[in-house]
Amino acid sequence: MLKKEQNEYLTQTGPGTPMGDLFRCYWMPALLSEELPEPDCAPVRVKLLGERLLAFRDSEGRLGLIDEFCAHRGVSLWFARNEECGLRCPYHGWKFDVNGQCVDVPSEPAESGYAKKVKLKAYPLIEKGGVLWTYMGPPEKQPPEPEFEFCTVPLNQTFSSKRIQESNWLQAMEGGIDSSHVSFLHRGDLANDPLFKGAAGNKYNLGDLSPVFEIAESDGGLLIGARRNAEDEQYYWRITPWVMPCYTGVPPRGDHPMHGHFWVPIDDESCWAWSYDYHPTRPLTDGEVAAMKDGKGIHVKYVPGTYRPLANKDNDYLMNREAQKAGRTFSGIEGIGMQDASLQESMGPICDRTKENLVGTDNGIIMARHRLMRAAKALVEKGVIPPGVNPEHHKVRQAALLLPRAASYTEGAKEALIAKKGVRQTSV
Amino acid sequence: MQSETARVTTARESSYRVQYPNSKRRDVKVVALDALSASLVDEVSREPWNGAKFFTSLSFSTDSAPGTTGEGLKAWLKDLAGAANDLVEEVASSDFVVVVTSAGEGARAVSLIADACALHNKSLVALVVPGPETTDAQISDSMTHLRPFARMLVIASGADYISAMLTALRA
Ligand code: FES
Ligand SMILES: [Fe+2]
Repeated sequence: MLKKEQNEYLTQTGPGTPMGDLFRCYWMPALLSEELPEPDCAPVRVKLLGERLLAFRDSEGRLGLIDEFCAHRGVSLWFARNEECGLRCPYHGWKFDVNGQCVDVPSEPAESGYAKKVKLKAYPLIEKGGVLWTYMGPPEKQPPEPEFEFCTVPLNQTFSSKRIQESNWLQAMEGGIDSSHVSFLHRGDLANDPLFKGAAGNKYNLGDLSPVFEIAESDGGLLIGARRNAEDEQYYWRITPWVMPCYTGVPPRGDHPMHGHFWVPIDDESCWAWSYDYHPTRPLTDGEVAAMKDGKGIHVKYVPGTYRPLANKDNDYLMNREAQKAGRTFSGIEGIGMQDASLQESMGPICDRTKENLVGTDNGIIMARHRLMRAAKALVEKGVIPPGVNPEHHKVRQAALLLPRAASYTEGAKEALIAKKGVRQTSV
Repeated sequence: MQSETARVTTARESSYRVQYPNSKRRDVKVVALDALSASLVDEVSREPWNGAKFFTSLSFSTDSAPGTTGEGLKAWLKDLAGAANDLVEEVASSDFVVVVTSAGEGARAVSLIADACALHNKSLVALVVPGPETTDAQISDSMTHLRPFARMLVIASGADYISAMLTALRA
């Protein structure tokens, strides 16, 4: 349970809010590279942390993320012409470059220098791992570039997708660290999904439905270990990392690519659910990429031409009661991503946590909320840089492994939890 | 036409969630396993709680050998007023039990509490809150002792987590 004030504290990320300040300490995924495929392509509207922005790639390939609205009379620059290194507003011709700087006010003599006095707010936009990242905080505090493994391996080893989720970011993110739902909600998918099936570890998941949990704080966030009984006096451990504020990793299965999410607030009632899939040491196969594009694993099928899931609240997520009754899906919804999204959206745009009844196994969620509140408070009151900003904190890996019963996962899996270039993931 | 699912998930419709309570008061028992955690638990116990009961130490008769259950299990919890309470009775009347430890002490105590929990099918949450001088070896030692018994084992870096967790659990 959270008190009403705490729930508001954690769920509001607009400018000037404590959590908004916290999010503005980090590089965040903003767009897929494919959304700005070439110089002078169409600009794209972007809303992040409650701010309406516009992304574009100029004639020289430079990336910009600027205030969406023209400084002259407030027209949306989505209508602008992307030409000769800038966006030209179609209304009266004012022109802005990737830094938001106004470079031309046609009605005024160029010599007057008036254009120099006009500048739209702009945030840096960088390309890494097929993703365009932005940092929306104070320029003097801009941290080094993100180092999450999925965005540092060669491009043919990584695949990212995103889907819009019509709920607050926190209830979406909490799903990513809520390991105890997997044995229920997703139980139908382990055996069938091409990106999960066949792993030796799957039998432990299906054989022991009441895992025991261990939670440890890491420098950047949390490590959430779930252990199940295995043969020969061993435990099967699945370890989920959470890096503050909104990166989660799903423990791997066999040699399948490793995946996880970023949960990025759009505004207080919607967020982007980013899904990455990568293999640390080999290119993704054509079959894997085709399955990911087809919405398998943690990815989804889209309404054509959008990043909105094909199964969405307008069509009751294509609820299939027959499949639910027959046990092919536990909730009647197809696909892991939409199984999660449908339930999280059903909580309402902002989940009312004053009414929940948490139990001991919810400690991962309790601890994550606690760390977020503690970090936001330290930032706002004392300017303390929060965990997860330092790129060293990004170099963590999810892992699945067998350990002797007496071994601690934080010790026994120490090496497995570190992202190392050229080293295969630890997985069963 | 808008689907029923789309209509009912608006902010407006969310405001129609029924306002009656959906759970009864919980009985949570919190037991400190060592001296350092006893002082933390003592402090936390002064906050307003919904009925959580706090104990700062456990004593047991030597014939409660490891593995003793049922009738044979004789152990007493000391509450904050210093009174002795029967462990098995306290566990029996709880919804769940939280044990708190700072370093590697209290191994025998936790196994007794776990036995009592097993006897009454209660779940046990274990919280390790290292003190300023606790070494990594001691932490890992605590974990090893607690691991076989707890459904949820948490290592928290700060003492403020005890109260954060209990609040979240409506203790
Ligand atoms: S059982 Fe967990 S939300 Fe209903
Ligand atoms: Fe899920």
